[in-house]
Amino acid sequence: MKMMMLMIWKEFLHLKKDKLSIKLMIFPVILQALIMGYALTTEVKHTPVAVLDNSKSVSSRSLIESIRNNYLFDFRPQATSPSEIRKRIDAGELRLGLIIKDDFEKSLKSGSGTDVELVIDGQDANSSNVASGYMNAIISQWGMAYLKKQAQNQGKDIDIIIPVKVNTVILFNPMLKSSWYMVPALVVLLITMVTSLLSGLSIVKEKEKGTLEQLMVTPVKPIHLIFGKTVPYFIVGFIELAIFFAFVLVWFGIPFRGSFAVLMLFAAVYMISSLGVGILTSTIARTPQQVLFLIWFILIFFILLSGFFIPVENMPQWVRSVTAINPVKYFMFAVRELCLKGTALSVLFPQLVKLGIIGIVVFFASVRLFNRRAG
Amino acid sequence: MFKRLYAIVVKEIYHISRDWQTMMIIILMPVMMMFLYGYALTMDLKDVPVIVEDPELSKEAALVTKDIDASTLFSVIGTVSSAQEPAELLKKYHAKMIVRFPVSFAKDLRSGAGGANIQVLIDGSDANTGTILRNTIGNVITKSVLDMLNIIQPKAVTVHPVVLYNAQQKSALYFVPGLMAIILLMISAMLTSLTITREKELGTMEQLLVTPLHPAEIIIGKILPYMFIAAIVGVLIMIVGRYFFDVRIAGSIPLLAVTGSIYIFTSLAIGLLISTVAAKQQDAMMIVLPVTMLPTIILSGFIFPVSSMPAILQAITCIVPATYFLEIIRGIVLKGVGLSILLKPVLILLGIGLLLVIVAVKRFRVKL
Repeated sequence: MKMMMLMIWKEFLHLKKDKLSIKLMIFPVILQALIMGYALTTEVKHTPVAVLDNSKSVSSRSLIESIRNNYLFDFRPQATSPSEIRKRIDAGELRLGLIIKDDFEKSLKSGSGTDVELVIDGQDANSSNVASGYMNAIISQWGMAYLKKQAQNQGKDIDIIIPVKVNTVILFNPMLKSSWYMVPALVVLLITMVTSLLSGLSIVKEKEKGTLEQLMVTPVKPIHLIFGKTVPYFIVGFIELAIFFAFVLVWFGIPFRGSFAVLMLFAAVYMISSLGVGILTSTIARTPQQVLFLIWFILIFFILLSGFFIPVENMPQWVRSVTAINPVKYFMFAVRELCLKGTALSVLFPQLVKLGIIGIVVFFASVRLFNRRAG
Repeated sequence: MFKRLYAIVVKEIYHISRDWQTMMIIILMPVMMMFLYGYALTMDLKDVPVIVEDPELSKEAALVTKDIDASTLFSVIGTVSSAQEPAELLKKYHAKMIVRFPVSFAKDLRSGAGGANIQVLIDGSDANTGTILRNTIGNVITKSVLDMLNIIQPKAVTVHPVVLYNAQQKSALYFVPGLMAIILLMISAMLTSLTITREKELGTMEQLLVTPLHPAEIIIGKILPYMFIAAIVGVLIMIVGRYFFDVRIAGSIPLLAVTGSIYIFTSLAIGLLISTVAAKQQDAMMIVLPVTMLPTIILSGFIFPVSSMPAILQAITCIVPATYFLEIIRGIVLKGVGLSILLKPVLILLGIGLLLVIVAVKRFRVKL
C-alpha cells in the first residue's frame, strides 16, 4: 500500500513539472468546448429561399409575407423564372425555391384549392427534410387561416370540418435547442480524450526514457505502477469533469435536472474504462507518437458509434450490437438523461452495470498484458 | 535530376511499406470510414418508439394507432390506459413520444363541436429528432382521422415538393463525397508532416542534406508518393461509392480529377508547413489533429450545416480548405454543375494552396 502511495505521489510530481500536459488539459479543452458547442448544431436555421411569384396577387403577396416574417428562412431576391431558381440552387445560393402559379388566386377563390411547387436542394437529406417541413407548416398554416376567413365570410366555422386537433408539447427541451443535447455530450468526449491520452502517455514516457526498466528492478510491482499511473489522472479527470461540466452548463444555459452525485458515480465508473484504454494502448505502443495515433484511432470509432450526433437507434441491428461494448455510449446516454430529464438512478442502473463490466474487463486486460510484457 | 528524385521516391516507398501506422492510415482508415458512414451512420430516422395512452380503448383510437405504427417513422411499442406521469414513462421505456387520446375520443370525433383534442408529448432532448417528430405527427394523425371518417380535407394550398440531386433522400449520398475531403486530407497532410518530421527526429534529414541532393529534390521526392497514394485512394473511394452506395458522379470526371488534385496539393502544403514548425513526430500529430482534422470535420459543413453557426464560426469556415472542396465535390458529384459555377471555390482553394507552399518553402530554407 505504501508502495502504491509512493508511486501515486511520484506521478503527481511528474504532472506538476510537466507544464505542457497541464496546458493540454486546460486550454484546448476550453477552446474546443466553446467552438464545438456553437458549431455542432443540427438545427436548421437561415435557410436561403427565393420565391417565384407568377400570380402577383394580393393572396400570393400575403403568403410570401408570412414566409418572409419567419426567422427560419433567409429571404433572397425574387426569381423571375423556374430555370433561374434551378440555376441559383446549382450555384449554392439557394436551398429552397417556391414557385407560385399564375392562377394561384383564381383557384383559391374558386374553392378548388391550388398548389405551389417547392424546389428543394436535397443533397443533405436531414437538413432539407427539416427545412421543407418548416415551409410546409408555414404554407398550410397560411392556407388554414385563409379557409377560416373564407368560411367566416360565409358564416360557417371551419373547425367543424376537421374534427381533430393535435396539440404537441415538447418535453425536456421545449425550445428544441441543439446545444442542450450536444454540449453535455461534448464534455464526455473531451474528458475521454484527456484521461485516456494522459494516462497512455505517462507510461510510454517512462518506456522511452528507459526509466520503466529501472522501476521494474525495484520492489515496485506492475500493479503498483499501474495504480500509481492511473490514480492521479483519475483524480485530475474527476475534478476537471466537474469544473468543465459546471462551466459549460452555465455558459450555454443548459439545465441540470438530475442528481450531481449520480453523475459523479457514473463518471467514476466510466473513468475506469477510459483510463484502461490509455493503459492498454501504452502497453502495446513503444513511443508517445504511437500512443497518440492508437488512441486517436480508437476514439474515432468510440465517438462515431456513441450516438454523439447520429442516434444509435438509426443504425442497423448488427452495428447496434457492436456498440454494446462502447463505454462512451453508456456514459453519454447517462449524462444526457441526467442533464435534460433528471432520470433517476434506478432507471439508469442497467447502464451503470454495463459500464462497470466494460471498465473492469478493459482494466484487467491491460493489467494482465502489462504484467506479461513487463515480466 | 530525375534519377536522384527517383531514388528518393523509391526510398520513401520502402518507408511506407514498412510502417504499420502509415499503412493503417492508407488502407484501414478509408475502408472503415466508408463502411461506417455508408451503412451505419445514417441520419434517416425510422421506427421511433411511441407509447399510446388510450383510456377508453375505442376502435377509433385503435385505428389511428395502427396508422401511426404503419408509418415508417414511428413504431408503437405499447398502449397504456392511463399515463399518470408521462415524463416518467418516456424515461422508463426509452420512448420518444406519447400520444394521448382523450377519454371520450370516439364521441368527440362525431360531436361536431370542435372535435377531439389529442395531446402529443415529444421528448425534445435530441433537438433534431424532436423537430422531425413534431413536424410529422400532426399530419399523420389528422390524415388518419379524416380517412376514417371519409372526410375530404379542405386544403387551400397543396405543396408539391421537387427534390433535386438526391431524390431518395439518402444520407450516404451526402456523406461519401464528404468523406473524400477528410480521407484525402488525412493522407496528404498527416502523412507528409509525419514523414518529414521523422527524418528530422532520427537525424537522417541532416544526412540527406549533406548528400548532393538539392533540398527541393528531397522534399518533392518525399511528397510525390503520397500524392499518388492520395489520388489512388480518392479514385477507390469513388468506385466503392458507386458500386456499394450507388453514388453516381453527375458531373464531369476530368473536372473532379483536376479539382481533387488541387485539394491534394493544398493538403500537402498544410502538411509541409506543419513539418517546418514541428520538431518531433509527436508534435506534428499534436498540431495536425486540432489544427487540420477537427476543423475539417466540424467547421466545413461535412455534417453540421454552416448556415446554422454563429457569424464568428462562419468566418472561420472561410479559411478551412475543406469547405471549398466540399462545395466543389458535392457540386460535381451530386449536382453535376460545371466549372463556370465552381470557378470561385476552385480559385480560392488553389490560392490557399499556393500561399501555404510559399510560406512553407520560405520557412524551410530558414530552418536548414
